Amino acid sequence: MSQLWYQLKKSPLAIIGIAILALWLFAAIFGPSLIPFTYTEIDSQQIMVNPGVKGHLLGTDNMGRDIFARIVYGSRSIFTVALLTSMLSTLMGVILGFIAGYFGGKIDTVFLRAMDIMMAIPPLVLSMVVLGILGDSNIISLTLIVSIAFVPATARVSRGVLLTEKNKEYVSAARIRGESNLYIMFVEILPNTTGPIIVEATARFAYSIMTVASLGFLGVGLQPPTPDWGMMVIENKPIISQAPWAVLFPALAIASLVIAISIISDFVGKVLVNER
Amino acid sequence: MKKILQLITKRMFSLIITLVVMSFIIFLLVEIMPGDVAQMILGQSATEESLRDLRESMGLNDSVIRRYVTWVGNVIRGDLGTSAYMRNVPINDLLWRRVGHSLILALAAFIIFVPLSIVLGVIAGVKEKKWADSLISFFGLATMALPEFVSGVLLIIIFSVQLNILPIVSIIPIGETLMQNLEILVMPALSITFVMFGYVSRMQRSSMIQVMNSDYVRAATLKGLPKNYIIFRHALKNALLPTITIIGMNMGWLFGGLVVVETLFGFPGMGSLLMTAIKTRDVPLIEACVLLITIIYALSTMLTDILYSLLNPRIRHQGGQS
Repeated sequence: MSQLWYQLKKSPLAIIGIAILALWLFAAIFGPSLIPFTYTEIDSQQIMVNPGVKGHLLGTDNMGRDIFARIVYGSRSIFTVALLTSMLSTLMGVILGFIAGYFGGKIDTVFLRAMDIMMAIPPLVLSMVVLGILGDSNIISLTLIVSIAFVPATARVSRGVLLTEKNKEYVSAARIRGESNLYIMFVEILPNTTGPIIVEATARFAYSIMTVASLGFLGVGLQPPTPDWGMMVIENKPIISQAPWAVLFPALAIASLVIAISIISDFVGKVLVNER
Repeated sequence: MKKILQLITKRMFSLIITLVVMSFIIFLLVEIMPGDVAQMILGQSATEESLRDLRESMGLNDSVIRRYVTWVGNVIRGDLGTSAYMRNVPINDLLWRRVGHSLILALAAFIIFVPLSIVLGVIAGVKEKKWADSLISFFGLATMALPEFVSGVLLIIIFSVQLNILPIVSIIPIGETLMQNLEILVMPALSITFVMFGYVSRMQRSSMIQVMNSDYVRAATLKGLPKNYIIFRHALKNALLPTITIIGMNMGWLFGGLVVVETLFGFPGMGSLLMTAIKTRDVPLIEACVLLITIIYALSTMLTDILYSLLNPRIRHQGGQS
């Protein structure tokens, strides 16, 4: 912990990243109760209002909906989905990667083949096709499909991490003691691999936000009326000449959040690697 | 050479298995797809009779396995079937022009980002921890984090809305070809460049730093060779290898990015075609697009692997000399 503080003091960029993330978390949790508009409020008198006019901090779109309110409400759904996705894909990755790496042999071969097949399609294309065919995405289907599309990446990392630990003495000791395979994998080995797995999970969080935002942009993410940052960009693109703010601010919201998390994951990686 | 032939046969084999499994999974997905395909195509007002006819002609009454086998047989003969949404239009007529457009777009992006990120990555690596490095590294981190549509939107606001020098949409007027409208490539290619630049320049930087700190470069420095000579003749060759791998690995992002970028700009490529196919639930067209993306993606990763083994003498000379 003190190591973390020490490293943090030396890295102003990481502090900025954490501050931006904290700001978004605050917006997601308390924002909706603090702003005077809701995300569905249509006001035909105030269409495409400039930012800052009549209490609309970031202006309105072509239906007179407040952009700021929609961004703040949208932060909730993107946080929920991205957080769940990074956790679920890491969890599935650890389980699959550990089992394959630990038992080796045929199980490992089958695992590697299956991952190769899944990796043959870019994760974004895979989730977009599946979500598109299934239709009417909700938080559950979105989380599940994107997590599955990420599993090849997370499982390979976990498998690699396990392989570096597998032949160490404490594993043989546990085996001689007669511990079960499950116990060795998840009670003996897992605690020693938290570093790289946390690094992978934080990087995955950034990827999740990018992917979920892109899926929303493609129209196969969360369905209206739920405000979604990616969807706001494509919805308002036709009015980009008259009301560039309606497109710019949701895009900047995505950019700031992903950049903040990337900086943090970069930092976490450096700290955890230096510790070793 | 033998090594490379082996690699190609191995990859081709796994590509075929991948294609079979992938296309079958999509067939199965369509099975559990909510709603009736025939109803979806003909709309709510369709009569019972016309629905039955359509189901019959699309073979919807057959079992999945049977439909799948028929489809595979047709694909092998080069017949991708007809679009379900635009009825009776052969997919072959729709697809190939779009594929050409997408490949040109990908190539344009490639021509920009590969040299750019290698050169800037090398500069950052050589000037480690100097201001040039900080600037390039931060720019790399920031662009890497921007999804293609975000950087694309920023470009549109700058170049189309503010400066008014590039078109907002990348549509080819009817009767003209892409070659007559090359300006529509600029912003889509730049949006892809942004994302790829981050990954590639970062990799190039760290591998350059590693090589510059290696024993043989230190020996060359101690021998008194000029710094530029060391960088270009000694270091760069080895520092390029990991970069090539990372470019190959990121081809997946590039193809995902193509779909997003083409949708944003309305560019008539394979990605926007796939998107339309998904929106209209045009199953045969989805199958064809996914099949093609998988093939192109697999071929491009194979190409990077071959390039890698050609450039890496440790792999090139293994067994090949005997």
